[in-house]
Amino acid sequence: MENIKLKIARVEKGLSQQDLADLVSATRQTIGLIEKGKYNPSLNLCIKIAKILDRTLNDLFWYETKE
Amino acid sequence: MDERNKQIAYKVIAIMYFLTFFAIVSILLYRQFVLRQELSDYEDIAIILTINSLFLISALLYFGAIPIRRLKVKRILLIYVVWVVVGSLFTYAYNNIFQSPGLSFKQLFDKFIIIVAITGIIMGFWILLSILGKKRLDKELE
Repeated sequence: MENIKLKIARVEKGLSQQDLADLVSATRQTIGLIEKGKYNPSLNLCIKIAKILDRTLNDLFWYETKE
Repeated sequence: MDERNKQIAYKVIAIMYFLTFFAIVSILLYRQFVLRQELSDYEDIAIILTINSLFLISALLYFGAIPIRRLKVKRILLIYVVWVVVGSLFTYAYNNIFQSPGLSFKQLFDKFIIIVAITGIIMGFWILLSILGKKRLDKELE
């Protein structure tokens, strides 16, 4: 499932995938795959990303399931 | 190299390890049962393979990859008995069915004693490592 929230937060912060990747010591591909929902990052990486983007984990990675 | 790269690398390495492992086992069995080569012809590979698999299981137990909540004596005894029975049957089949003349009862009994002893030593070693591994994890949780 695509992570639109992360993509929006990154763009709002004015960062490219490469910029965010450099800031969290990851590769651009990893950030791209997280945004596409094709890679589940570790909690540590989630926290790093959330801190860089000034968001909470809930803001970026939580989604409600449809009943 | 980030965490995703590492995960992929570990996965590929693990798959390649098992493919290599099973390829070597297949080659050993082929040489043993089809080509009927002498044990001395492939003893070195067999020793490496045995030590490798023993250490693999030991490491998995120690580092907590095999989840063991509690060591149950009944289950340990069952595994031990099954291992001894399978080992004995394999030894009997290898020596007295696939080769002739087969071993005498005395020679088979001697081999049985070796199987019982070595299996016991290996299982004892694994139990010790499981206990040490569990202690290590408990210490980390303190």
